[in-house]
Amino acid sequence: MNPMKIVVCVKQVPDTTEVQVDPQTGTLIRAGVPSILNPYDHFAVEKALELKAEHGAEVSVLTMGPPQAQAVLRLALALGADRAMLLSDRLFAGSDTWATSYALGRAIRKLGRTDLILCGQQAIDGDTAQVGPGIAQNLRIPQITFCDQVEIEDRQLKARHHIDDGHEIVQARLPVLCTMTPPQDYRPRHPSFPRVVQAMGKVLETWTALEIGAEPGMIGLKGSPTQVDRVYAPPQKEKGVVFTGTAAELAGRILDILQKENFLTP
Amino acid sequence: MTGLDSIARGLMLDSLRDYAKRRLPYEELRRLDRENEFPADVLKELYDPEILGIHLLLIPQEYGGLGGSTFDIYRVCEALAHIDLGVATSVFATFLGSDPIRVGGTEEQRRFWLGKIAKERLLAAYGATEPDAGSDLVALSTRAAHVVKNGKIAGYRITGNKQWISNGGVADLAVILALAPGGPSWFVVEKGTEGFSANAHEDKHGIRLSNTCALALDDVFVPAENLIGGVEGQGLSQAQAVFGYTRLMVAAFGLGAGWEALETAIRYSRQRIQSGGPLSQKQGYMLKLIVPHAARLEAARAFIEDTAHRLDAGKHGLQTEGSIAKLAATEAGNRAAEDAIQALGGYGYTKDFPVEKIKRDVKITCIYEGTSEMMEMTVCRGRWQEHLKSRGTYYEEQAAALDRLHASCPTVGADSAALALRALNKILEECRLQRLTRHQHVTMRLGEYIAQAETCAAFCRAASADHYSETVRFDAQTWQALCRIHARETAADICLKGAKLVLGAGAMNPGFADALGLGAILAKQAGALEDQELAMKKLAESFRSR
Repeated sequence: MNPMKIVVCVKQVPDTTEVQVDPQTGTLIRAGVPSILNPYDHFAVEKALELKAEHGAEVSVLTMGPPQAQAVLRLALALGADRAMLLSDRLFAGSDTWATSYALGRAIRKLGRTDLILCGQQAIDGDTAQVGPGIAQNLRIPQITFCDQVEIEDRQLKARHHIDDGHEIVQARLPVLCTMTPPQDYRPRHPSFPRVVQAMGKVLETWTALEIGAEPGMIGLKGSPTQVDRVYAPPQKEKGVVFTGTAAELAGRILDILQKENFLTP
Repeated sequence: MTGLDSIARGLMLDSLRDYAKRRLPYEELRRLDRENEFPADVLKELYDPEILGIHLLLIPQEYGGLGGSTFDIYRVCEALAHIDLGVATSVFATFLGSDPIRVGGTEEQRRFWLGKIAKERLLAAYGATEPDAGSDLVALSTRAAHVVKNGKIAGYRITGNKQWISNGGVADLAVILALAPGGPSWFVVEKGTEGFSANAHEDKHGIRLSNTCALALDDVFVPAENLIGGVEGQGLSQAQAVFGYTRLMVAAFGLGAGWEALETAIRYSRQRIQSGGPLSQKQGYMLKLIVPHAARLEAARAFIEDTAHRLDAGKHGLQTEGSIAKLAATEAGNRAAEDAIQALGGYGYTKDFPVEKIKRDVKITCIYEGTSEMMEMTVCRGRWQEHLKSRGTYYEEQAAALDRLHASCPTVGADSAALALRALNKILEECRLQRLTRHQHVTMRLGEYIAQAETCAAFCRAASADHYSETVRFDAQTWQALCRIHARETAADICLKGAKLVLGAGAMNPGFADALGLGAILAKQAGALEDQELAMKKLAESFRSR
């Protein structure tokens, strides 16, 4: 049987959880902030490499960005990925999550048969969590989001999917896309010096919009329906109230509140 | 040397910093410092090719290493110094211990010993210094006598004492400089060889976790193939050949430790509220304790990088440049650490904050691998020859180049730097005319001015370049302001101190004072305060609280 083919989609992001927002333009101020591999994606790369160690697989890493985004691909290669592709073209500039998902989907199609696609749950700069699901939609394959564990047996993938108060075990047949959620105490692993040097000899290709067969109207600003109106910190969610008591008592208290807050007036 | 690219260097430095963050938090470093304890397990991990494999960087690829360039190794040395200068010293001692083999060894010796260091992750030590022979290696008293078998030299018996040997008590092998019948020579001596022993770990002022011992050699037998290079009498030239390079690494230590202290002080200044505002907004505080150090450290960095690139381009020796880099960077680092204590006030004087330890640690960089005073002498000796050979045009030509630089890029203070070099040239010429270099004090002070002038010129070249080095952490506006600050200071320092030196030692020749260009130098001081205020603001913005 052919070895499994895994693609990990990654993003280079500014290294800060307190990104400052330009009050005039509503965009992130990146000057002077060092760039890193998005930590969620870092976890996805490590998971892919674990699956490779267990089952044998070819792990490709894919990113879209300016030439300097090569740095995160080189990190993934140093960690053990086999090959890397950078989608870099002026035509991609200004792509929103819709256009980005389309472009990454095109690139994955170009790669040929793919069994598993891993993404980070979201990027720490935009925090949309839309690109992973968008890729799955573009490729018409199932998706499981917010996974902290994935296992594969007989082309059947079993993932632990995070929900607010716990988790669900979800199964799907390959090919499938998972977005990965690292555990609380996750610390990204860094490569040793010899591995960094080994990675210098691995395949790192740059693909243009033409090379992935992207339609010009589907990428860049033209292909991006999202207009950023403004960026602001959302108001804090108010804390809920927990009541305890018998069913009858609780029903009475809830009714009181609903009446007080005018939910029941016609 | 092949070397890495900037992405690879960046990844390695990230890996190193991440390791340090996990494994060497300040509390652990503080404990090792207090208990005078060498962290053998940390060194093992640093050398483990699955964890870091840091020692592989200095070993050429053909011998199983990674073949790092001088620039790569400078970057790693600087990063190590940011973490801990004791750990840095332990790693560096292996670099140093393998250098005589790398530079002077036969092909077979390089293959064998460097391959062994790479593969078996050996710690090495460099045994040159003796109780009575430090900077003056000619006074060497360790002896290597022939052991003759069947009419052939089968080996050597080495007897003597070595002093202040980094890794002395923990190294798997040491290179030992000894006087053979054919002259000073390097020998490889392995740990456990009969008669070879280390004394107790020294109780030092700083870098306390770095193992430092005296070594005793009592009739130690080494086979003839352990004579590095296979020919006796090459030892001093083999030692000299690497000074340009090894002193650059110590310069990187001064730079890294100095910046670590300064960054700590800047972060503190943003948090500490005094009389209604943070210290980072107090002009008197920042312009005295922070800004001048940033300017001096960045000037030293520019010179280090210039020298590293030249070594990587195949230039050999560069002893004078290595000495300038070491003198400028380690003295700047030491002064920065001293003022960082002051900047933290009472907290700086306690062991709860790291600046007190950095200050104790960084002092060693002004001493080992040649003291600052030896550097001053070496620098003066080297450039004095250039001054004489060129009939007094050596610095005039460099000043003219800075004038041209100023014409194309007027924002880095190259005009002040040109004035500094011209003043230096006049001072050197006056010393020649009045034969003042017969005074040791004069030669050493000249060494200091030369180092300051040349780092200033290197800074101007770097700050006016189209593309900045990957190491520059500031925008062009800030970096150029720091460059102007340094150029103004250098011009005034050299002119005034040089004049004092010449007049103090010799006679007042007509025209000498005017020739120094004091009027022009003073005129260039205009705008100094504005530049310092800009630098103060930008420095505070660049280093936010962690």
